[in-house]
Amino acid sequence: MKKEQAAPVPFPGFGRLRRSGTRIGLISAGAKRQLVDRIVGKLLLFVALFAIVTVFFIIVFLLRDGYQIVLETGAWNFLAGQDWNPAGQNPAYGVLPLIVGTVLVTALAMAIAVPLSIGTAVFTAEIAGPRTRSVVKPAVELLAGIPSVVYGFFGLILLTDWIRIAFDQPSGSSWLAGSILLAVMAIPTITSVAEDAISSVPREFREGSLALGATHWQTIKNVVVPRALPGISAAIILGMGRAIGETMAVLMVTGNAAVIPDPITDVFSPVRTLTGTLGIEMGEVAFGSTHYHALFGVAVVLLFITLAINSASRIVISRIQGPQGTARPTAHRALVAAASRIAHAVSAPFGGVVSPRTSQRCAFFLISLSVVIVLAALGMILFGIVVNGAGAISWEFLTGSPRDLGRAGGIFPAIVGTFYLVGGGLAIALPLGIATAVYLIEYTAETPLTRSIRAAVDLLNGTPSIVFGLFGFAFLVIFLNFGISLIAGQITLGLMILPTIIRTTEESLRSIPGSLREGSYALGATKWQTISRVVLPPALPGILTGAILSIGRAAGETAPIMFTAAIFSSRYLPSSLTEPVMALPYHLFVLTTSIPGASTQSYGTAFVLLLLVLAIYLAAILVRRRYNREKVM
Amino acid sequence: MDESTILETRDLNLWYGQNHALIDISIRIPKNRVTALIGPSGCGKSTLLRCFNRMNDLIDSSRITGEILFNGNGIHDSLADVYAIREKIGMVFQKPNPFQKSIYENVAYGPRIHGVREKKALDRIVEESLKSAALWDEVKDRLHEPALALSGGQQQRLCIARSLAVEPEVILMDEPCSALDPIATAKIEDLIIRLARNYTVVIVTHNMQQAARASDYTGFMYMGKLVEFDMTTKIFEDPGEELTENYITGRFG
Repeated sequence: MKKEQAAPVPFPGFGRLRRSGTRIGLISAGAKRQLVDRIVGKLLLFVALFAIVTVFFIIVFLLRDGYQIVLETGAWNFLAGQDWNPAGQNPAYGVLPLIVGTVLVTALAMAIAVPLSIGTAVFTAEIAGPRTRSVVKPAVELLAGIPSVVYGFFGLILLTDWIRIAFDQPSGSSWLAGSILLAVMAIPTITSVAEDAISSVPREFREGSLALGATHWQTIKNVVVPRALPGISAAIILGMGRAIGETMAVLMVTGNAAVIPDPITDVFSPVRTLTGTLGIEMGEVAFGSTHYHALFGVAVVLLFITLAINSASRIVISRIQGPQGTARPTAHRALVAAASRIAHAVSAPFGGVVSPRTSQRCAFFLISLSVVIVLAALGMILFGIVVNGAGAISWEFLTGSPRDLGRAGGIFPAIVGTFYLVGGGLAIALPLGIATAVYLIEYTAETPLTRSIRAAVDLLNGTPSIVFGLFGFAFLVIFLNFGISLIAGQITLGLMILPTIIRTTEESLRSIPGSLREGSYALGATKWQTISRVVLPPALPGILTGAILSIGRAAGETAPIMFTAAIFSSRYLPSSLTEPVMALPYHLFVLTTSIPGASTQSYGTAFVLLLLVLAIYLAAILVRRRYNREKVM
Repeated sequence: MDESTILETRDLNLWYGQNHALIDISIRIPKNRVTALIGPSGCGKSTLLRCFNRMNDLIDSSRITGEILFNGNGIHDSLADVYAIREKIGMVFQKPNPFQKSIYENVAYGPRIHGVREKKALDRIVEESLKSAALWDEVKDRLHEPALALSGGQQQRLCIARSLAVEPEVILMDEPCSALDPIATAKIEDLIIRLARNYTVVIVTHNMQQAARASDYTGFMYMGKLVEFDMTTKIFEDPGEELTENYITGRFG
């Protein structure tokens, strides 16, 4: 107490600014402000720990149900068993075919997506004029906005059909179909991250090369891309993480036979992934059975794989960037060397003979071709769904309840249910996410604690949505006895979007220059005053954009809600948080996969879902554009 | 020097991690005068400046020994309130850093966080501060426009007005003109000389003409040490150290 009373003494008699009565009880104004500061700091720390606690709970609850499968079948039989057949006479629980399926589907998807994405990124960042860019960029972002169940719907109705006919196969549901779909889904992630990396290469580097008489393509190939390589590597790894964790789209088009393709290169063979297995079987499994434990074992395996990819990416990036972000240690040199060797190998056949001008023309043609392919994919999906879906829309469809298992009637309860789920999820995630980000950026230096919070956020970010679904089921529905309920779905969705909100908030706080904070501190402001009045207001549009984007993501997600909140056909809206609810993505999933003769309704539902999500994304783009205009001024 | 002292350091040492940035600095900054700190890049002059209002607190790796006294009171004493210190010892930075607010709100920010709420009082403070910073006539008709729409020189004078608005006794300026053109620089120099009637100004500068023109006292720093501190006229006309002479005559640095 002595300290608090005496605080103002060394500087008595502040001028006209000090109002009388700023002493409250025994606490002087200065000490009171410091107290507020300390309390706010502690509160934020408390919230930030939530991310760690969540990760801890996810792992505990997955392991709790998952380790028993190892006891029941033995670790080797589980991990290396070639037979997954839980429903057979002699149930077998070998996950090897599922792991192989996941690896194959992801690998082929990346082989398709990486060249297309990097081509598109180079095109938008380097070649396109502002006009073309303003078309291509939003188009790619639009691709990111399409919900995975809509991709699955498109894949099941159209893509598998095309494959069946084009390659004369008995069925189009195959490894190839899954990989094509995943590639299209991974393209926006890889493209936008890679494009950021390329655009952030300082202009002087380009000018330095061009001033030596290098062509635009030589400059891109030899100066810009090597410099952006760490970012491009990160982009590829991120895209891979997205592909591995994807459930719904893959489940709907891969045929889901738990076999290892024979021969292993047979892209028309059906395959089954880890995520697909969870999506299909989790809904029908008896609680507490061996099969139930096996599924949690699958989830643990899946989590391990994504964890391994995430840590690999972090190691790669930190090795490449070095501690200061400027250092260029051997890892980066090795990567550049490898990349240029590949580039030389590709261009070797016509490199020596052809003039730089011609090779530039060839390169730009290939790059433009990749952009055309990406745009065509978007066009086909939108066209297919809009043309067929718009006809299904009627007043009754939008405002009625479903009848005859969704074959007739409307989807009103599903529309409202989606809003309930997303609104609840956001109400949970937004305050937690913003507080965590503020704590991470503003309140602490790098300590072991912040590093573990960051690691936890990264882990949550990389966790497949189906794993959130399983966790929600095990923890909320069963352990906390919420049952299949609105609240369980809201919490699960909230946890799923939490890392996105933390990340985007961090990003936008980081973009506020440190000089503004210094300016505020130099006027005698406390930390909390500085944050709340100088840092947060200009960061708000960025935070808002992040929030809107995560709304879009939550609205389109199926996997997290299908075991925690969603029911298929209900005439009524939930009257309390403990009742189950209809949701558009789940409705579409069931209609498409289980209800014959509902294709008009499927198209209609896909159309409405697409429209809803795209409207949300459009809002985000508008917010960002407005913000950018203000910043320029 | 028989002037009354407002800021004083005694055997001040500062480290950034392993880097010994300030070595045994003892200096007395006279009240209501302009004191310039000059020296080559990396000599520690900005670091010393940031010690006076404890801005180095914000850098985690910094460590300090020795004493800094403000009006005779140690600013690192356990009783000292760092926020009150910064309120009394303001700072203007190298690059203008107006907040993303209107001109009015930029100036009103300081008084507001220190508890002034009445509109009239704020209006008066904003007007007085902008007048003192020689910016009032240029902005009085557009007080509610964004501060970032001002020119660089205007932004810097706005930052000076912003620091005046909390009634400091000392204003620290860290190369305030380095990002400005010659005309804007001349205006700020003018302002600095006038401010010295009511305030103590400590200015770090790279520009020796600026130090000669605008300051009463000059300290020359080199490699973390204060080589010489005296009246500006003395330093520039008859420096006591050879090192100082070499620097101001442009033989190195």
